[in-house]
Amino acid sequence: MSPTFQQPNTLRLRRQPKYPRKSAPRRNKFDHYAIIKFPLTTESAIKKFEDNNTLVLIVDVKVKRLSHKAMKQLCNIDIAKVNFLIRPFGEKKAYVRLAPDYNALDAANKIGII
Amino acid sequence: MAKIKARDLCCKKKEELLKQLDDLKVELSQLCAAKVTGGAASKLSKIRVVRKSIAWVLTVVNQTQKENLRKFYKSKKYKPKKTCAMRRKLNKHEENQKTKKQHQKERLYPLWKYKVKA
Repeated sequence: MSPTFQQPNTLRLRRQPKYPRKSAPRRNKFDHYAIIKFPLTTESAIKKFEDNNTLVLIVDVKVKRLSHKAMKQLCNIDIAKVNFLIRPFGEKKAYVRLAPDYNALDAANKIGII
Repeated sequence: MAKIKARDLCCKKKEELLKQLDDLKVELSQLCAAKVTGGAASKLSKIRVVRKSIAWVLTVVNQTQKENLRKFYKSKKYKPKKTCAMRRKLNKHEENQKTKKQHQKERLYPLWKYKVKA
């Protein structure tokens, strides 16, 4: 006989609640519109449109990844990659490199930056 | 865009309201972009209007949702209950009860409304 007692496998049932604990699920407050706050129009940001085909956006701090859906909904473009940094004032800046078949200047026009 | 009123929103269906919410949010994002690029004053003042309209639409959506849920669960035996603490709190009627003495005091010195000459 072993000195330790290990609980035998018992029947474990799934929960079948008679009523949901929360009557209605909370709405998603972190939708596309909450993620992307506004684009940047500083001189260095505008340089990025022209030279590097990137958009510079201010984004919510909690964002880990910028989804393709969010960019598509903003101005119908495809992303190659995104780099983030957090500004000293606490806002998150996203450098969004667009896919090669999209032009950053056109996208900027569509958003209304230029 | 006209100012949104809850009265107009109440009669709309949920999908319509959500669609309107979407439109408003798109408008808000455009206005925010305009703010950054130094937009016209009319656009900047519109930001507040749009934000409040979004709030109105969400209020109506959530209120009607809760109302419908209450109707749904009214006749049922097992309904979602509030938290334990909330159930033990004084209800609104009990909280608002005052002694006769306090009532008299409050009547003597009510909050005065002053009018300012324009």
